[in-house]
Amino acid sequence: MERFKHWVAENADLSFAILLAVSVFTFFAITEPLFFTHRTGFAIMERFAVLGLVGLALTLCIIAGEIDLSIGSNAALAAVITVRFTDDWGAVNALLFALAISTTIGVIQGYFIAYLRIRAIVLTVGTLMLLRGVALFAAEEKTVMLTDFRIPDFISTKMLGYFSPASLLVIVMFILVGLFMTYTRYGREIYAIGGARKEALASGISLQRPMIIVFAISGFCAGLGGVIIGLRSGTAQALGLQYLLLAGTVAAFIGGVSILGGKGGVIGAAIGTLTVNFLNTGLVFNVTPAFMVQLYLGILLLVVIMFQTGSRVFDERQRRNQLLQDADRRRSILADKIAELRRPSG
Amino acid sequence: MTDATALADNLNVAQRIRRDYSPLVIAMVGLFLLVFVAGAIFTDDFLTWFNVKTIIRDAALVGIMAIGLTFVTLSGNFFLLSMKEIAALSIICFATLMSADWNQWGAAGADPTTYSLTMTFLVAFVATMIVATVAGALQGALIGLGGNPIVVTLGAAGLFFGIGSWWSDNLVVSYRRPHGAEWLGTGSFIGDIPNITVAFIVIAVVAELTLRYTTFGRQVYLVGANRAAGRATGHENFGMAIKCCIIASVCAAFVAVAFSGQVSSAHVNYFSSEFGSSGDMTIMVIAIVMVGGNSIMGGYGSTLRTSLGAIFISSIDNMMVLNGFNSGARVLAVGLMIVFSIIVFALVRRGSRAVE
Repeated sequence: MERFKHWVAENADLSFAILLAVSVFTFFAITEPLFFTHRTGFAIMERFAVLGLVGLALTLCIIAGEIDLSIGSNAALAAVITVRFTDDWGAVNALLFALAISTTIGVIQGYFIAYLRIRAIVLTVGTLMLLRGVALFAAEEKTVMLTDFRIPDFISTKMLGYFSPASLLVIVMFILVGLFMTYTRYGREIYAIGGARKEALASGISLQRPMIIVFAISGFCAGLGGVIIGLRSGTAQALGLQYLLLAGTVAAFIGGVSILGGKGGVIGAAIGTLTVNFLNTGLVFNVTPAFMVQLYLGILLLVVIMFQTGSRVFDERQRRNQLLQDADRRRSILADKIAELRRPSG
Repeated sequence: MTDATALADNLNVAQRIRRDYSPLVIAMVGLFLLVFVAGAIFTDDFLTWFNVKTIIRDAALVGIMAIGLTFVTLSGNFFLLSMKEIAALSIICFATLMSADWNQWGAAGADPTTYSLTMTFLVAFVATMIVATVAGALQGALIGLGGNPIVVTLGAAGLFFGIGSWWSDNLVVSYRRPHGAEWLGTGSFIGDIPNITVAFIVIAVVAELTLRYTTFGRQVYLVGANRAAGRATGHENFGMAIKCCIIASVCAAFVAVAFSGQVSSAHVNYFSSEFGSSGDMTIMVIAIVMVGGNSIMGGYGSTLRTSLGAIFISSIDNMMVLNGFNSGARVLAVGLMIVFSIIVFALVRRGSRAVE
């Protein structure tokens, strides 16, 4: 029990995320009789496959102190490429080609951000439009479709009760990235350039390597998400998948990242995504239209941001008061000392 | 001091450009101009009075929004990702009030009089502006308190879009002609120049004068260029963010009203890329601000650049349409222009002074 308390105090954000996820799940499990069933569990894991990837990618970016706005476009591009070339080349080749392209895009973005020393939002808002253009070009402004529907069937076959090949793949991805972030030097460098960039650069970490790694993983995750969506639904639209950015950001922020960078982790990303998925799936049971889900997500994000900003302002004020109090105390001690020194002579 | 000023005044235009701008920027602007001129010469029907009018009218809607956004960018708050959602909320608000029966200001069944049309328009317009002001102030307050502009406006975008869809049940809200907004949407007072073009020019001039010659304008530049200095001299970002976000929102709402006046209906998706052909409105507006050459980090740029950027992008778009390109190629061209100008401006900044 003592250790548990200690753990909660240590990981306040993560405990909050777990609490939120559990309460959302419990709420829907009680109000909706069908929510806590095997099939719904499978549906949630299916959604987790895509949203989890985006949440993971955005979590990594925000840990590094940046944000990747082009994630939806990158996913749409990957989806279009995969679906379009599956008929000619076979699913595996098309998939690998799409992943290679989206990862390359990520690497190029990371390189330019580090080399030009600009904020990622500035560049990625440009690539957001550029990649939409490329995707439109690749799809010839049409909705591309598969002709062979055995592939979507394979992607959503049930395995081990709750999982499909897609969600298993994503879980493996989560574990790999988690291990990478915690146990390798490169992962810790990402935390370093996010939390304290100046100090990290001064201590000899190059900006380029962590940036490229972060954006490569982000591009890969976005591409994989796009590939899964494209192959599962059998269609892809160049202008689709715009909702991913908002949902992924909400997931990342619920998972406990700070906009200042350097905080958060893969477990948080998973829990944040699950919370968003519970909310999404539960709202579908209530026959909530899609735009209302967006409304709730927007409110959720604003509330989280408000809490974070509020706590930061509060902390700053607290620290300033502490500083002033310290100064006052020191001054009074000094005054006492001076008075003491003067007394014998006077 | 006076000598130096006199010397600076004596320089001719070419020398002054060489002094103020780096070769890279000059090269980029030259390249853009070259493409533009070549396109203008080799495209049939491009340089006709009718087409020029079309270009400026197309530029007007996004241009007005971009002018509003320029204030936010100049004050160092990056950009609002919720421009199109503010416009969507405003257009729903406007059209709902325009179509409401209680708002006809005349006898039921009778032909609407000019007075009733004007009053309906005024009520709807003022209500829309109030909604936009509240929306802007909400975002501005969150940004001013220290929230990241991108994340705050991403959340606000979801919120506004949701409210707009919920209010209109995700349906098209339409109202009958004649209505009080026709003069703004399709009318023209001066010859055959559309009123929306006139509004664009007036707003551009007013914005430029505000930025150059008023205290508020100088404060925008100060807060954007050096936030610490701004704070030290008593210009907190809190008030500035709220003011700038309100300006941007009101501009977006004005565009929404004008667009609704054109088509005499409204839907939340009117500004999304699913509806328009040349991409998402928000990104288009940000593209204009960037291609115009405003510094995204704030403190450098002007609304004049933004207006020119709007006209430039609009004419490139027009040129490509005349040459038979599809929407993919057009979005791609605008995307290339943004990325290109971002890289060039970043290279110049990297070479010119120490970075953070």
